[in-house]
Amino acid sequence: MWGIRHLTRRGQPRQYSMLARKCANIIAMSTNDTSHIRNFSIVAHIDHGKSTISDRILELTHTVQERDLASQMLDSMDIERERGITIKSNAVRVSYTAKDGREYQFNLIDTPGHVDFTYEVSRSLAACEGAVLVVDATQGVEAQTVSNASLAMNANLDIVPAINKIDLPSAHPDEVKAEIEDELAIPAEDAVLVSGKTGEGIADLLEAIVYLISAPEGDPDAPLKALILDSYFDDYRGVVAMVRVFDGSIRRGQQLRMMALGDDFLCDGVGCKRPLETPLERLGVGEVGYVVTGLKDPSLVKTGDTITERDRPCDAPCPGYHEAKPMVFTGLFPIDNKQYENLRDALEKLQVNDPSLTWSPETSVALGFGFRVGFLGLLHMEVVKERLEREFDLDLIATSPSVNYHVFRTDGEMLEITSPQDLPDVTRIDHIEEPYLKAKVIVPPEFMGAVMQLAIEHRGVTKDMVYLTEKSVEMHFDIPLAELILDFFDQLKSRTKGYASLDYEFSDYRRSDLVKLDILLSSEVVDALSFIVHKDKAYSLARGLCDKLKEIIPRQQFEVPIQGAIGNKVISRSTVKAMRKDVLAKCYGGDISRKRKLLEKQKEGKKRMKSIGSVEVPQEAFLAVLKVDDE
Amino acid sequence: MSEADAPRGWPSRYERPDVESVYLHLPFCERKCLYCDFPSWTTRAHDPLMAEYSHALESQLRAFAGLGLVGRARTAYLGGGTPSMLGPDTLAHLVGELLAQSPAIEELSFEANPESLDAGLCSAAREAGATRVSMGVQSLDDEELSRLGRIHSARRALEAAQDALSSGLALSCDLMCAIPAQTSQSWRASLSSLLELGVAHLSVYPLAIEKGTKLERGLAEADPAWNSDEVQARRMLEAEGLLAARGLSRYEVASYARPGHECLHNQSYWTGQPYLGLGTGASSMLTRTGYLLLRDVCPQLPPPRPECSRVRLTVTSSRRQMALDPAPSSLSFDLEFLDRRQQMSEDLMLSARLTRGIDARLLDCARGVLGEGRVEAALGELLARGLATPLPDGGLAPSERGWLLGNELYGRLWGLSPSSPEPLHVQGV
Repeated sequence: MWGIRHLTRRGQPRQYSMLARKCANIIAMSTNDTSHIRNFSIVAHIDHGKSTISDRILELTHTVQERDLASQMLDSMDIERERGITIKSNAVRVSYTAKDGREYQFNLIDTPGHVDFTYEVSRSLAACEGAVLVVDATQGVEAQTVSNASLAMNANLDIVPAINKIDLPSAHPDEVKAEIEDELAIPAEDAVLVSGKTGEGIADLLEAIVYLISAPEGDPDAPLKALILDSYFDDYRGVVAMVRVFDGSIRRGQQLRMMALGDDFLCDGVGCKRPLETPLERLGVGEVGYVVTGLKDPSLVKTGDTITERDRPCDAPCPGYHEAKPMVFTGLFPIDNKQYENLRDALEKLQVNDPSLTWSPETSVALGFGFRVGFLGLLHMEVVKERLEREFDLDLIATSPSVNYHVFRTDGEMLEITSPQDLPDVTRIDHIEEPYLKAKVIVPPEFMGAVMQLAIEHRGVTKDMVYLTEKSVEMHFDIPLAELILDFFDQLKSRTKGYASLDYEFSDYRRSDLVKLDILLSSEVVDALSFIVHKDKAYSLARGLCDKLKEIIPRQQFEVPIQGAIGNKVISRSTVKAMRKDVLAKCYGGDISRKRKLLEKQKEGKKRMKSIGSVEVPQEAFLAVLKVDDE
Repeated sequence: MSEADAPRGWPSRYERPDVESVYLHLPFCERKCLYCDFPSWTTRAHDPLMAEYSHALESQLRAFAGLGLVGRARTAYLGGGTPSMLGPDTLAHLVGELLAQSPAIEELSFEANPESLDAGLCSAAREAGATRVSMGVQSLDDEELSRLGRIHSARRALEAAQDALSSGLALSCDLMCAIPAQTSQSWRASLSSLLELGVAHLSVYPLAIEKGTKLERGLAEADPAWNSDEVQARRMLEAEGLLAARGLSRYEVASYARPGHECLHNQSYWTGQPYLGLGTGASSMLTRTGYLLLRDVCPQLPPPRPECSRVRLTVTSSRRQMALDPAPSSLSFDLEFLDRRQQMSEDLMLSARLTRGIDARLLDCARGVLGEGRVEAALGELLARGLATPLPDGGLAPSERGWLLGNELYGRLWGLSPSSPEPLHVQGV
């Protein structure tokens, strides 16, 4: 998070440029030797002090003045800061002169922090040799300590435990050490005791990073092999990729190739972030930095892809690449249809820095013209919707999320469907297949029962489970993606008091008994409220949806019946009663302005609603399915 | 703006330089009721501030009379707060000054609360020239009264009402429905008791739970069942039926009277007549010409915008500031300049609160000002939605549904103006 947290501070450009030049000189002197390089992440439970420790490291390594400038770089990321989540990966380089007198190059790699971005996290961790695990000396091991430590251990990283906040009177570092050993099976005898607040122990932590985290290895003379961690778009230079070099090196002017996607490009410059971009002569083996690709199409640069030389490609790419495919699809419609073109422009602009975003036009009887947009997950969807509304001043309706279904028609043809509206008539459907995931949950044993129960409720099948330590179990499930995208992650966190970590990957398509649930308002089907659901769950979902919509839709001048139906068969109903009285009786001389303001407020509220027939429906009604209470 | 370029049918009241009505606000109460969000402050019974403030009002009234603003006024109203708290001498003095400056006044009302209204005050006011008293009774059930934070009993209210009637003042009473502890029966009983006394004018309101009031802060739940729109609707319908059977007909959303006993003053608010309001929190509505006159003694006021045809001003000076320095040039105001379209849509909305509705002439003028298509579309929609019924002369009146769902009706009419006036604040010099 530190990559985000420091954004608001004031910049000092002059000091920066002097320092940057000095640093550039030092780095230019480096050789093919990698023994001075340490690539690592800092992981922690929320509020255990990841940001303050990151800040202290920057300070102690004199990167601080530059850090102050960062507000100019990343100012579009308000949402990350507000929500306290990291969406983009980031890597900052600092120089550290250790007690042995050598100058070390540290690359701090900041990773996204949500299950929607599991793949991005895995790529970032793949670029590291180690991780600093921060644990609060007053709180001890907590839920995300466990889940983050598991991720780091799975990536085979060297782990440096750091016990933070030792300045507090309630600190009990010895007990916390024991917890780290018992619960995480990480040796903690030599855990570094630090205080992000006073700075105590930070120097020791830097030394520990030097001695406990391995230097990267690689062949400097082999053909280039560099892993893409993330990328961003620059109007002048095209796509800039953040990379970790595993073999060989990169210089400006080299002819390069994207191994998975196959596109060639001329390297237009390399450098590192300190945290501002600092150009370098080259990026050598083991180093982390950026590559200016000159490519104008962001979809050609994918996280996880490998960059190699055009004329001398490496034998095999970095393992683990797969294209980050959208998992969740929702309709996005402007409330005011006149904003359709603006929405298209806004999506195009966002896609430039978020290539995982996909979209195609969609039409709804109820909502008019909009787009079907693909996201990595629901958080990704929320963030994109919020950015569209805030940065582009749009009022949007998002419809119920859907996955990509394979619908086999009676004539044998297979259709890929991401919107319930596109489902053919029941009589023409032979069967439907839905995507399944292999999900992995790591959890303390006492929550195993709760997790199994949750999996069952979400049509999951437990495959096996393995004790990692006495205090953590790894459970494997096959589970439909459609179940996972709704509220599975939130439920998992709440039923395990936050201790569970979730990881998943696509498995296969499986045949399921799926039906389309329609919702009728005042006896008219509202296409934007339709939802594809497993037959066994249709009744309870229909009931839940009708009740939730009754809460969300305000009382109107007329009674509004709400019905849930499969085909022509109504399976649930509720009613929004008619508004009986809405009038401010008092209106004398002094009340007129006041009354006008009141009515204007009412009108403003209506603007954010969509008229469907004669019914005014608020935005959130279209996502009611996410709010249906679990029984 | 001269009459030459006024739209066809533009009523003459929209151009007159002086006012039809005068309002004086007296923001003093013995105790603030739990539901009250009006400008009013707790004051000791003999606080000298009341007399000082009252003299300040008189001096301002004289200043405005000197401009020719109030000489032809036909109605006046002393509102509050609790004007009856002023006591017989101060009240009578104020009434006397009003009549001296506006000798054409036909109806002069003052508001009272039962705890401070007695035979002495009534006869003093009557002798000074007041014609009407409007008493806040709210309920004739002691439990209900105490739940509202009222400091009088039901019995005191009935005695005060009797005193008022005996003195020869016309009496109007306010009653509230959808209040804590109220039943259909107790509501009917409150209404009936006042009718039995011979009250010829009643204002009935559902209690509005206003943000920030003690009542609102003390609620266990946000929408208590006793104040639901269902209950409000039922009580208002009960009142309408009961009062109609006893000869009081509704002439405005919340006002009922025997024929000939309607309140003239309030009707000028609802028919777009200009009025002058003095005192903390009081509002005035002036024509452009009237406002230009007012600027002669209030140089702090900015010139009207070119398109402005009506001005609404609300006094924001505190009662202490006013008492210390009554000079009109020291007054602070909130200000709104309305253009013709804003003015017209406002008057359509106000007329739609009346039983007699929007007459054909006003509608015609509205078509000219707001655009024929816009107006027709709105009328068509209101009729189709059952919020209004057509009148034989081509006008429009609220339907039963329109009475209950008035905000839908008013909102649609108000929305005919494409914009709203921008609020301005003016500090006294």
